Amino acid sequence: MVIGVERIKLALVDHMIWIIILGVSIFFCYTIPNFLTFRNFLFTLYVVSPLGLLVFGEAVCLLGGNMDLSLSENAGFTAMIVGVILVDWVTWLPGWTGIILMPLVGAGLGAVNGFFVGKVKINPFLVTLSTFLIFNWMTYYLRRGAIVRMPGALLIPGGGRIGGIFIAIPILIGMAIFLYFILDHTRFGSHIRAIGGNSKAANMLGINVGNTHFWIFTIAGALAGGAGLLYTGYLKCIPSTIAEGDIFLAFAGAIIGGVSLQGGRGSAIGALGGVILMGIIDAGCTMTAMDPALRGVLNGLILLAAILINKTRASLRDRVLMPK
Amino acid sequence: MKLKKVKESKETPLVKMEDIHKWYGKVHALKGISLEVCPGEIVGLIGDNGAGKSTLIKILSGVLSKNRGKIYWKGEDVNISSVKEARKLGIETVYQDQAVIGCLSVAQNIFMGRQPVKPWGPVKVLDKGKMRREAEKLARDLKLHIPSPNQEIRFCSGGEIQGVAISRAMYFKASLVILDEPTTALAVSGVQKVLSFITRLKNEGMGSIFVTHNLHHVYSVADRFVVLSRGEKVTDVKKEETSVEGLIELQLRKGVTVT
Repeated sequence: MVIGVERIKLALVDHMIWIIILGVSIFFCYTIPNFLTFRNFLFTLYVVSPLGLLVFGEAVCLLGGNMDLSLSENAGFTAMIVGVILVDWVTWLPGWTGIILMPLVGAGLGAVNGFFVGKVKINPFLVTLSTFLIFNWMTYYLRRGAIVRMPGALLIPGGGRIGGIFIAIPILIGMAIFLYFILDHTRFGSHIRAIGGNSKAANMLGINVGNTHFWIFTIAGALAGGAGLLYTGYLKCIPSTIAEGDIFLAFAGAIIGGVSLQGGRGSAIGALGGVILMGIIDAGCTMTAMDPALRGVLNGLILLAAILINKTRASLRDRVLMPK
Repeated sequence: MKLKKVKESKETPLVKMEDIHKWYGKVHALKGISLEVCPGEIVGLIGDNGAGKSTLIKILSGVLSKNRGKIYWKGEDVNISSVKEARKLGIETVYQDQAVIGCLSVAQNIFMGRQPVKPWGPVKVLDKGKMRREAEKLARDLKLHIPSPNQEIRFCSGGEIQGVAISRAMYFKASLVILDEPTTALAVSGVQKVLSFITRLKNEGMGSIFVTHNLHHVYSVADRFVVLSRGEKVTDVKKEETSVEGLIELQLRKGVTVT
């Protein structure tokens, strides 16, 4: 039995991301005046929430032993499709329908990935690389420039506030809790982990691997659609460059949050930690007016550090868990 | 209950495979094989690599489909088209390459694919408490040396892992357990452990098919031996009517090597 000290050790190792967040916050508090205010923290969360949904999507894919390169382009393409529908094609549709359409269109685009990976059995890297290109350039094809006159209702989830708090923040946190519930407390979630951990064994245990892959990509797509909605509200318009290239940050966020590239390991709450850490560092850079190019470099360094930390974390965890 | 089982065994075999054929493209892998298993009986299915034993049991466990032939389950003509269906009938398979997910706990591994759930409002959530309790009970029952059901299974030894796989059959009350080379990848102590698990299944009244190319592993526990060679059945004898030497000689004569 894991008891007392062992249990505490395991908890520390498993939730290391929160300790790191605390450390980085304290560092910024001492180096940047006025860093730690409640408003500043809320704003930090708000800024990072569109990316957060992409991170969650990528985390679901990685847990199932997959990857999705197309998520950010899915978010952009989805936003553009819905924008064009509301503004050009079906102008009589009320703006709020876009709020429902975004996750649906995103899920549809994700299902395309899911179909090719789960049913046609093509390598997820190749499938999502193709759809990355398709989604990216379809966005430009639909509209070069930006849709600027958006119906107000569509901007509410990503830009509105209730009682002074941006609506995007409860969406971000609620989604993390929802995904935690799905992944850790339902049969479907356990199937995702099983497939990510050992898909051959999962198949022998009677789990429908192809179907599960299909749903993994569809869920990731729906999250990307949700991200598209938040980006739209954040930017107050839909430029053709929307969310472009953010997939790298989405991968980084998931990995910083402790989701393993080998599949099966990691949690939605950890991924939320990854998102928050990236947000805090981003806010710190903004407040010190750091060179944007250097910020890019810093992102790379953070990812590298995260990989090293997770490697050590995994072996520490093994040492704690190893039967004596 | 026990009495009924004995009676059953005299009336109908648990499973009866009749004239099973399988082609892989142009290769005729199974050339009309018949096989019977009775409740409480351990059948040793022996043969060299490529003899067709794996193909035969994969058909029975729902992984592969047959091209021709019939399968009778407790006297009824059945069509087993998936692992799920085989499990529904009561056929459980323990694989050589240990069908476990290393990063999940022992409890999760026992129940994977068939976890108990409890209602939580409108949705069904995993009953983790029940899984833990049942896993603990099973481990005690089989005398597995597992410190906790929450233990990630990659820390268990090969013998214990096979024990976990076999405990699936015990918990879900399988009638027939197929053991596909369960001892091949194990150390000597692991082999002994697995053999004791198998005897345990027999005592519970389950029929089992023990597939192996190592005659010595199966000889001590099996009641009957079926020898395959190049897709054909060579022998089907009771233990009383044969000996290790006899079986080896028989296999050698038919060009089957015994390792």
